Amino acid sequence: MIIRMAKVEIVGPKQDLLNTLDLLHDRGIFQPDPQLLERIELAREDHLQALVLDENNLHERSFFQGLFERITQLLALLPEASADLPPLQPLPVMDLLDELVDKHLEIAREMVRQLTDCQNEIDDLQRDLAFWQALEPLLSDLPEDSNLEIFGVTIRDARQLQALEGLLQKLTQGRCHISSATTADGSLVGLIATDCETSGPLRQVLTDERVPELSLPEELADLPLSKRILALHDRLDLLLANAKGLEAELRDLDVQWRPIYRRALNWLAERLTLYRATATAYTTRLCFIIQGWMAENEVSDLHNDLNQAFTGRVVLEQQAILDEEIEQVPVILRNPGYFAPFEVFSRLLPLPKYSSYDPTPLIGLFFPVFFGMILGDIGYGMILLLIALFLAKHYQPHHLASDLGKILGVAALYTLFFGVLYGELFGDLGETWLGLHPLWFDRGKAVLPMTVFALTVGVVHVLLGIILGALADLRRHKPRLALVKFATLLSTLLLVLAVVGYFYPQSWLKTGPLLIGVGILMPVLVAAEGLLAPLELLKTMGNIISYIRIMAIGFSSVLLAMVANRLGGMTGDVMAGILVAGILHAFNLLLGVFAPTVHSLRLHYVEFFSKFLDLGGRRFDPWQKRSP
Amino acid sequence: MEKVWIAFAAALAIGLPAIATAWAQSRIGAAGAGTLAEKPELTGVIIILVAIPETMVILGFVVAAMILLM
Repeated sequence: MIIRMAKVEIVGPKQDLLNTLDLLHDRGIFQPDPQLLERIELAREDHLQALVLDENNLHERSFFQGLFERITQLLALLPEASADLPPLQPLPVMDLLDELVDKHLEIAREMVRQLTDCQNEIDDLQRDLAFWQALEPLLSDLPEDSNLEIFGVTIRDARQLQALEGLLQKLTQGRCHISSATTADGSLVGLIATDCETSGPLRQVLTDERVPELSLPEELADLPLSKRILALHDRLDLLLANAKGLEAELRDLDVQWRPIYRRALNWLAERLTLYRATATAYTTRLCFIIQGWMAENEVSDLHNDLNQAFTGRVVLEQQAILDEEIEQVPVILRNPGYFAPFEVFSRLLPLPKYSSYDPTPLIGLFFPVFFGMILGDIGYGMILLLIALFLAKHYQPHHLASDLGKILGVAALYTLFFGVLYGELFGDLGETWLGLHPLWFDRGKAVLPMTVFALTVGVVHVLLGIILGALADLRRHKPRLALVKFATLLSTLLLVLAVVGYFYPQSWLKTGPLLIGVGILMPVLVAAEGLLAPLELLKTMGNIISYIRIMAIGFSSVLLAMVANRLGGMTGDVMAGILVAGILHAFNLLLGVFAPTVHSLRLHYVEFFSKFLDLGGRRFDPWQKRSP
Repeated sequence: MEKVWIAFAAALAIGLPAIATAWAQSRIGAAGAGTLAEKPELTGVIIILVAIPETMVILGFVVAAMILLM
């Protein structure tokens, strides 16, 4: 249901504004509405003006904002090793934190810079090491003290290697040798050996061909080839140790200071929220005024809290909601026990407007009935009930699976109920084995009665939707729209009776007079709703016909169950029969959960709700303290 | 011969709406998949949208059943 809301005005001396906002923020039940204040401004513009913070408050806000940003920067640099917040009052230590945060920020930035450099170098060295380890077997073939210039390259693919080899042979007139190997990560690397004279032009060709050459740190570049890998290992170990040391220092800094800064940051965020909230307040020379929304049943509590905190200086007054404000009222949906899980389905729609209805109770009432009508089988109902009990027991209350379990449980009970009426237990198995007979009618044979039943359900559901729509229009003080809805209701009813009279002629049910009645109502509809009114009537009839899916999907489910039993029986072996029938019944049950759910929801969303539900409401979003 | 025509009529009554439903669902499904990539919270709405064209095949099924059974 949609909770009843109250429009409230809070007035008090200017010096109590921040404390009042703090109290409202703390309670978390009030939503300020600047649009209401704009209207007040228009009404009393000589007296009211938007609140402008004085010099002290501006200075304080600027100080808190700066500190907030610097602490945020510092915490972003730290590795987040600690989580507990100390019971610290941040306000008395703000000046101290203001000095400390700069110092810690400088230290943290320097350590992070060193760590980043270290990590970059480690990444480079690890890449180089993989490269040189791949080339190690090739290096062993070369003479240790030769006059050769050797450099390594990474190569895109085998085709580039071939092209490169041809190019270099041509350039050096055969005075170079290129060998290749594959690294652990699958990259292709090459080792080029040439004499000192041709190394310059050769390097230029590599640059032109965009073949990246492996570069080593200067201190390693001069080492003999065989010692390079050892030197790389040593350097890598040193850098890893450095990185570990820096990380430990950062972690120490975090453990020591993060809880304090985190606490201060939460306090600053709340304080800055209060300053921002002052934008919603208006002032006179001496007073402030705030208007907004809250649940009506909480008004007296807030009234008492304000009286207690400010000893009557700050006053709360509930005001009448004007007709032009009704669409602006924020909406809270709250449903008691049985209906609460069905909010899962109503949340798929946008929020209804305050003057409309909460669709949840209606879904809660009709959805399980439609589900049961469609599936209607004792065997399937029992299985679904067991699954529902498992979900409801296994998951915490208000968990999505638990809510779905509760919905499934109610739907399973209706499935059992309609299963008894239809006399179905795993299709016709109940009839064959247990002599079960339908109490109402056999869905597998009585197609026409089932169709009439489904259409009757549609008539009742759609007409109920039109009645709810008319009542909502009356509540919104729109009698003309309500009249149109009642005229549509009457026309639909007459048309339905005319159709019934045509197919089942009765002495008291004459089609002609009923159609004349529709003809008389038509000018009223056209005058009130325009030339599209007849189309709207046809659409309503189409909506009713859509309920025939209750019969159609149910009928296909019964037939599939019967096919499962027949195929199981045709195997000629008990175990194989149970297996075949079991698989087909499992498939039918899966379809039997999915199809009734989707189609029942569709009947609600498209056929039923379109008759009365006005969507697009504003969610109630009160000031609330952030959880630390 | 009459039975053949009845069966053919029933097949047409469900076959044509089934093709139409499949075409509509393929278009809605493709658009829905694109929407879900941007807004996963619309899953429920998309499922309902995909189910909407099924009305055609359901009515076709009803008509076919009536042709065969009545």
